[in-house]
Amino acid sequence: MIPPLLAAGLVYASGLALAACGITMIYMCTRTFNFAHANMATWGAYTVYTCLMFWKGLPYAYWPLAFLVGAVLGAVCYYTINGPLLRRKASDVTLMMSTLGYDLVLLSIVGMYVEFFERTYHPPMTPRMASLSAYDVKILGMPAAAIISPILAVGLVAGLYIFMTKAKFGIALRATVENPDLAGVVGINSDRVYLASWIIGGGLASLGGAVMAMAVTVNIVFGMTAIVPMFASSILGGLHSVYGAVLGGMVVGLAEYGITYLLSLWLGGMVHAYRAVIPLMIMAATLMAFPRGLAGVPWGKLLGRLRALTGGLGGVAPRGAGGEK
Amino acid sequence: MRALKSLRGAKGVELTKLLLRVDFLALLACIALLAYLGLSFGKDMVLSVLLEFSIFLIVTLSLNIETGLTGVPQFGRVLCVTAGAFIVGGLCGRIVAWTLGKECGWAYAHHTTNYPLITEINSMLMTNAGLSVLIFIMYLIFAAIAGGFFGWLISRPAIRLREAYLGISLLAFGDLLYWIGYNWEPLVGATNAVHVPDPFRFIWAYRYEAVTIVYFLIALFMLFIAEKLVRSPFGRDLKMLRDCELAAQVYGRDIVKVRTLSLIIGGAMAGVAGSLWVVYTGSCYAGTFTRLMWTFWPWAYMMLGGIGSNLGVALGVLIFVILRTMIMIYRMSLKPYLPFDPVWLEYTLCGLALVIIVLFRPYGLVPEKPVSTLPREQIEEMLKKARERVKSS
Repeated sequence: MIPPLLAAGLVYASGLALAACGITMIYMCTRTFNFAHANMATWGAYTVYTCLMFWKGLPYAYWPLAFLVGAVLGAVCYYTINGPLLRRKASDVTLMMSTLGYDLVLLSIVGMYVEFFERTYHPPMTPRMASLSAYDVKILGMPAAAIISPILAVGLVAGLYIFMTKAKFGIALRATVENPDLAGVVGINSDRVYLASWIIGGGLASLGGAVMAMAVTVNIVFGMTAIVPMFASSILGGLHSVYGAVLGGMVVGLAEYGITYLLSLWLGGMVHAYRAVIPLMIMAATLMAFPRGLAGVPWGKLLGRLRALTGGLGGVAPRGAGGEK
Repeated sequence: MRALKSLRGAKGVELTKLLLRVDFLALLACIALLAYLGLSFGKDMVLSVLLEFSIFLIVTLSLNIETGLTGVPQFGRVLCVTAGAFIVGGLCGRIVAWTLGKECGWAYAHHTTNYPLITEINSMLMTNAGLSVLIFIMYLIFAAIAGGFFGWLISRPAIRLREAYLGISLLAFGDLLYWIGYNWEPLVGATNAVHVPDPFRFIWAYRYEAVTIVYFLIALFMLFIAEKLVRSPFGRDLKMLRDCELAAQVYGRDIVKVRTLSLIIGGAMAGVAGSLWVVYTGSCYAGTFTRLMWTFWPWAYMMLGGIGSNLGVALGVLIFVILRTMIMIYRMSLKPYLPFDPVWLEYTLCGLALVIIVLFRPYGLVPEKPVSTLPREQIEEMLKKARERVKSS
C-alpha cells in the first residue's frame, strides 16, 4: 500500500502531535514550558515495552496504561514542584528550570531501570535498543500502527474539543486560561484546573512517547532527542491552541520523514543522518515569518481576502462571499 | 582601651556571623573534601578536580553573564562551546598541518590519516616550545572568535523573541552543530574523534600539572573579567535590561546593542572553554558535546551558586565538581550493592539539587548583591580627607 517510510512517518507524526498537544496544554494553563516532557515520553515507551515483555499481546493494549503513568508523573510534578512555585508567582524561566530538574530525576530513574532490567533479564530482552514495531500486526498489508495512531490523534483532539466546549470543567479550564483572576471571582478553583492540565499533559506526553516508539527505536535518551521536534511542533502550533499543536505535530513529523525521503532520492542515503535538523529549520522559518505560530496567523482575514480576490477574478460579486460573516 | 574592647567585640560578632553563613560553611566543606581527596588519592585527583572546575567555571560564568545578568534564558549554551571546540579540531589543526606542509584537505579528518599525522606533529612540537605556545594562543583566539560569532548569530532571534519562546528556540538550536559534527566527517571526523596538535607536549612529564595550572589561571582571569564586567557601566546596563526593559529604553540605552554584545561576550567565553576541553583531552569528538553536559549541568551549577553572582557561581561549580568526582570514585565500591551503574546517581543528584534550590533557596548559596558605587566626586573627597588625616597624624 503506502511505502513503509511514509507509514513510519505517519506513526511518528501522530505521536508528536499528542506530545505537542500536552506541552501546549500545560503551557496554556500554567505558563510552564515542561522540559520533563522528554522523559515522560520515555517512561511511556518503556511502560509499553515492559508490559509487552511480561504479558505479550499487542502494544495498543498497554497504551491506556502509558497514559496513566504519564498522568501520575504530571500530578506528582504539580504537587511537589509546579504548584508551590505557581502560588509564589515564580517567573517563567524559574518554572522552566524546575521542570528541568524533574526531567533529570526522571532520566536517572529510566537509566537505573533499564540497567536493572538488562541485568536481571538477559537477551533476547534488549531494553537499551527496544524496537516496539516488531510486535505490531499488519492490516491491509501495512502496519496497524499507521492506521491506529492517526485515528487516535484525531479522536483525541475531537474528544478534547468536546471536553473544552461542552463539559463544565472544560469551560472552566478555558476561562482560567483566558483570565485566572476573573475565573477565580466566578468561583473556579484554579488549583484544580492546573492539576487537570498537568494530568492531561503528562498523560499525553507518555502516550505520545508510546506511539512514537512504534516508529523509532527506543533507548535511554529517546526523550531527550524527541523533545526538540516536540517543542518545534508546539511552537508551530502557536503555544496557545491545542488544535494548533496537533496540526503542528503532524506537519513537523511528516515533514521530517517526507523531506528526508525526497532529499535522499536526490542526494543519496547520507541525508538520513541529518533528519533531526529538519524540525529546527521548520521552527526557524515559522518563528521568522509568524512569531506567534500557525494559530496566530489571522486565517479568517487571509481567507476572506483570498475569497475576495478569486471572486473578483471570476466576476462573481465579492460582496456576497465577504458579507456572510 | 574601651574602644579597643568594643572593636574586638564587633569583630567577634562578625566572625560568628561569617562562620554561620551557608556559603562560608559550603566553602569550608569543599576545602576539607578537596584535602581529603588529595590525602587519600594523591595529587592527581586534586588536579582533575581543579581542571574540571576551571573549564566548567568558564562555561558557567558565560552562562551567568547571559542569563543571570542580561536575562536571556540561554538553554543552548552547548552551541558556542561546540563552536569553539570544532574550530580548534576542524580548522586550527588544519592550519598547523598546512604551515608544516602536511595534508590539510578533506582527508585530514579521516582517522586513518589523522592519527599518524597528529602523532608526527606532536613529536615535532615536543622540542619546539615557542611554536607550541603560539599554537595555544591561536587556539584561544580562534575559539573566542567562533564562539562570539555564534553568540552574535543567536542574538538575532534573541532580539525578536521573548522569555519562553526564546528559551525553547535556543534549546533547539543548541544541538545544531552537534548534529553536523557528528555526521559530516570532514569537519571533526564524525563518529571518530579528530586529534588535535597538543601545545603542551614540550613540557614532557609534567604535562598534566602544566595544563591544570594554565587552565586554572585562565579561569581565574575569566572570573576577574566577569567581576569587572558586573561593576562596569556596561554591567549595570545589562542588569537594567534584565530588571526593566522599559526603564532601560527610557534612559536611552540601545537594547538591541546591549543584548547583542552580552551574547557575543558570553559566546566567546564559552568558545574558549570548548577549546580548552579539546586541548585537554587531545581530541575533538562531536559526541561529547551534549546538551546535558554543556547546558543543563552549567545551569545547575549556576542555580546552586546563585544566579547573577559570579563568586556564587564559582562556589556552585566547585561543590558540584567535587560531588561528581566523589560519585565517580565511589562508583566502583558501590557497584556490587546496586543493580545499576552508580553513574545515574549523578543525574539524580543534579536534578534533585535543581528542584530543591528552586523551591527553597531560589537565589542560591550566594545571592546576588546590589553593587553600590559612589559618585566620583564623593570618592575623591574621601580620598582627600584620608590623605589629610595621614598627614596630620
